[in-house]
Amino acid sequence: MSEIKVNSIKGVAASTAALTINNTDGTCTANLTNRTNRRLTINGAMTIAQRGASSTTNGYGSVDRFSVNYGGTDENPTQQQVDVASGTTPYNLGLTKALKVTNGNQTSGAGAADYVEIRHRIEAQDIRNSGWNYLSSSSFITLSFYVKSSVAQVFYGYLTTRDGTRRSYPFSTGSLSADTWTKITKTIPGNSGLTFDNDNGAGLDIFIDPFYGTDYTNNSVSLDQWNTHSSGNAFPDMTSTWYTTDDATFEITGVQLEVSDHATDFEHRTFAQEIALCRRYCQVYVSPRLRGVLAQSTQFQRMGFSFLEEMRTAPSAVWGGTQDVYAGSGTASITGQAAVYSNTHSYETDSTTSGSLAVGAGSSVCAYIGGNEATLTLSAEL
Amino acid sequence: MNYKLVNSSFTGKLQNIKRTDVTPPIFIPINEENTDYQEYLAWVAEGNTAEAAD
Repeated sequence: MSEIKVNSIKGVAASTAALTINNTDGTCTANLTNRTNRRLTINGAMTIAQRGASSTTNGYGSVDRFSVNYGGTDENPTQQQVDVASGTTPYNLGLTKALKVTNGNQTSGAGAADYVEIRHRIEAQDIRNSGWNYLSSSSFITLSFYVKSSVAQVFYGYLTTRDGTRRSYPFSTGSLSADTWTKITKTIPGNSGLTFDNDNGAGLDIFIDPFYGTDYTNNSVSLDQWNTHSSGNAFPDMTSTWYTTDDATFEITGVQLEVSDHATDFEHRTFAQEIALCRRYCQVYVSPRLRGVLAQSTQFQRMGFSFLEEMRTAPSAVWGGTQDVYAGSGTASITGQAAVYSNTHSYETDSTTSGSLAVGAGSSVCAYIGGNEATLTLSAEL
Repeated sequence: MNYKLVNSSFTGKLQNIKRTDVTPPIFIPINEENTDYQEYLAWVAEGNTAEAAD
């Protein structure tokens, strides 16, 4: 039996050790590229799209946790969950879905107040408690993602804090070649001016931007450092080529933020794991399991159910379509909500019906599968 | 944006803010952590007033 005694193992050309061994207690620290539970972004592989695969919504409309915002447009851009082409680098790494923004026809050109942005927002407590010593310039987080544009140009993005005196960290993608996936990696130090509250409010925003007009940009902004945040100083002025190209496209996938001084492999999660994380912010139910009582022959009260996952806060509710209900003696239909009661765990609604039920007040009523089925979207987004 | 106040049929007290300029309408809880409610409060702070409850 033989024994090797060393205090570190390092690659031949590496500047840092892959394995650092404690000389006294027998433990070691490994600089692995595929550790688990390190990705702070949710749905970075764009696999979850509870609201649907395509939308022109200004905000959350397709891929969960990624909000596509725009303003000043002549024709609204479209956001989509799309397939990544096989054989490309992200596809070969298991990133087979992407978020795609397709530009509209901006007939009046690029106005100073025009913008199209992609935003991923992380709760303050999840940054504060991530393990990142965000007050220290020698502690790092690393953002990495793949990006592809139909227009060859330089794009910009930035991270911005939401608590205390807001700070922003702008970065450039460098010059992208048209229709070519490019991996962007930014390693970002802590800063003594950063604040992240220990709460469920917005803490850190990641913006990756197809276009910002000059109302939001300033050529005096320094890249790759923390700056005091100002809405007119996101990053340097950017070319408007993408924005003034009708149907130009911009795609991202593999968005990962991690506590590390370098980018590690994208951390894949199962569909079930990822959608469970998304449901803290959005839950979509088809034919929700409503159970309640009849107040009058055409009025139900307090029909409700419990959520699959605890939500970040009491959600807003949108009811789409018609839901058939059954009261033992017959059926009727809910066509909308009259009032909503919700907390982070459950939902109840008062509603009127399109038909009447020949049973008395206090009778039980339930939604059932197989008739008309409504969609209930609950949003507790940041 | 347009909003309407919604009372509980159970208690008669204010229960929701209903955003009515979108289809289907959005029922917003009275909860300051909800971003739709934050947006409503900002709209009110700009001098706007929601339609009264039925």
